[in-house]
Amino acid sequence: MNAWHTAFVQLPLLLHGLLRTIEFSLVAAVVSVILGLIAALCKLSRFGVLRGISTVYVEIFRGTPLLVQIFYMVFALPSIMPLNAWFGQDLYPIIGVSAALALNEGAYVTEIVRAGILGVDRGQREAAESLGMTGYQTMRHIILPQAFKRMIPPLVNQFAQTIKDTSLVAPVGVVDLMYQGQITVAQTYAAFSIYTVVAALYFIVIFAVSRLANYLERRLQIDQR
Amino acid sequence: MISVEDLHKQFGDHQVLRGITTRVQPQEVVVVIGPSGGGKSTFLRCLNGLERPTSGRIVVVGQEITNPKTNIVNVRKQVGMVFQRFNLFHHLTALDNITIGPRQVLRMPADEAESLARSLLAKVGLSGKENSYPDQLSGGQQQRVAIARALAMRPQVMLFDEPTSALDPEMVGEVLQVMKDLAREGMTMVIVTHEMGFAREVADRVLFMDDGCIVEEGQPDALFAHPQEERTRVFLSKVL
Repeated sequence: MNAWHTAFVQLPLLLHGLLRTIEFSLVAAVVSVILGLIAALCKLSRFGVLRGISTVYVEIFRGTPLLVQIFYMVFALPSIMPLNAWFGQDLYPIIGVSAALALNEGAYVTEIVRAGILGVDRGQREAAESLGMTGYQTMRHIILPQAFKRMIPPLVNQFAQTIKDTSLVAPVGVVDLMYQGQITVAQTYAAFSIYTVVAALYFIVIFAVSRLANYLERRLQIDQR
Repeated sequence: MISVEDLHKQFGDHQVLRGITTRVQPQEVVVVIGPSGGGKSTFLRCLNGLERPTSGRIVVVGQEITNPKTNIVNVRKQVGMVFQRFNLFHHLTALDNITIGPRQVLRMPADEAESLARSLLAKVGLSGKENSYPDQLSGGQQQRVAIARALAMRPQVMLFDEPTSALDPEMVGEVLQVMKDLAREGMTMVIVTHEMGFAREVADRVLFMDDGCIVEEGQPDALFAHPQEERTRVFLSKVL
């Protein structure tokens, strides 16, 4: 049988994997933005303890390979606490890799959010404070809305990176596009055609996302003249 | 209205203010002049707590802001501030720039804040610009919105930090006109400016500051015509 025909026959399985890849990416993106916002606010806090916690978090997750973090979540932690029993043998690996992805991306998002907040002109804060706004009101109504606008292009870029990073869940046996590729190749031996299709599927999604980031970046520059 | 006693401010080793003592009476218009780097802006920024004094005592609208127990927010509500670079909120329309203070800080209902904002925009000559964003307005228009934003809090005192220094020359007049109208209405004002003609016309009292001290103060006509101190004479001969 023609190898490309094999890949075509296997396409539904690969698309199912792609769907899981997208799900992992979206979950990691949403959770990492929440984590990143909290960690960035801690990092800019007046309280040394919060700054310390946030710095340790960012440095640990940026300073170790994501693959190690995934193995740590899926194999190391369950060896010291009964996570598999709590969440179930089937569910825990999915939760574990999602947590590893979100924590890892969150560390990068923290720096994006921090840069976004620091990029807002100091005069904006002074104007808000001179009106009698509290620190919370200033952050919520003046600084963050302006910071978010600047953060959107780098966040979308980070999302493209997240999609690539999700392929590292395959080595621990969690189903995604890469894992489906490996399984399919093991069954059909059509390594060249299957991995070409896998790469093409990743490329289509990531290319679309990074085009979106470029577009948003240009829009932002026009907005700011 | 404002009382300042022996105010010192230090940035690292640099003494920016070395013992400022003065008072501002209700409805008084005090204009602060002097060379750049003489501490004028720092002095003004101490009056609403944007800078924390190193030592000294400041009482504004009956509250001692140099006392750590004083809630600075309560003072700032009653003290309007206008900045050299306008500092309008870029993500908000002119109308929303004006309503956000009353709504968030004074908890004013939205419709009341909006009609207040419209009347203030009319007062500064900007009716029809309600929905413009700051970037769509000229410098002079932005500064007038900024004045309206400060007035929306119904402050007891207005502080102006070189309000026309960042403006193109043809826009200076429209901003000074708004400030003259305010002075005529009896607003208490402290103004840092390089506009000597305006100082002479509007000020009840002029402070000449240099090197962190008030070198000389007095009625504008007397100070401009017959400065007593050499430093004042030198400065005035350069700017007049």
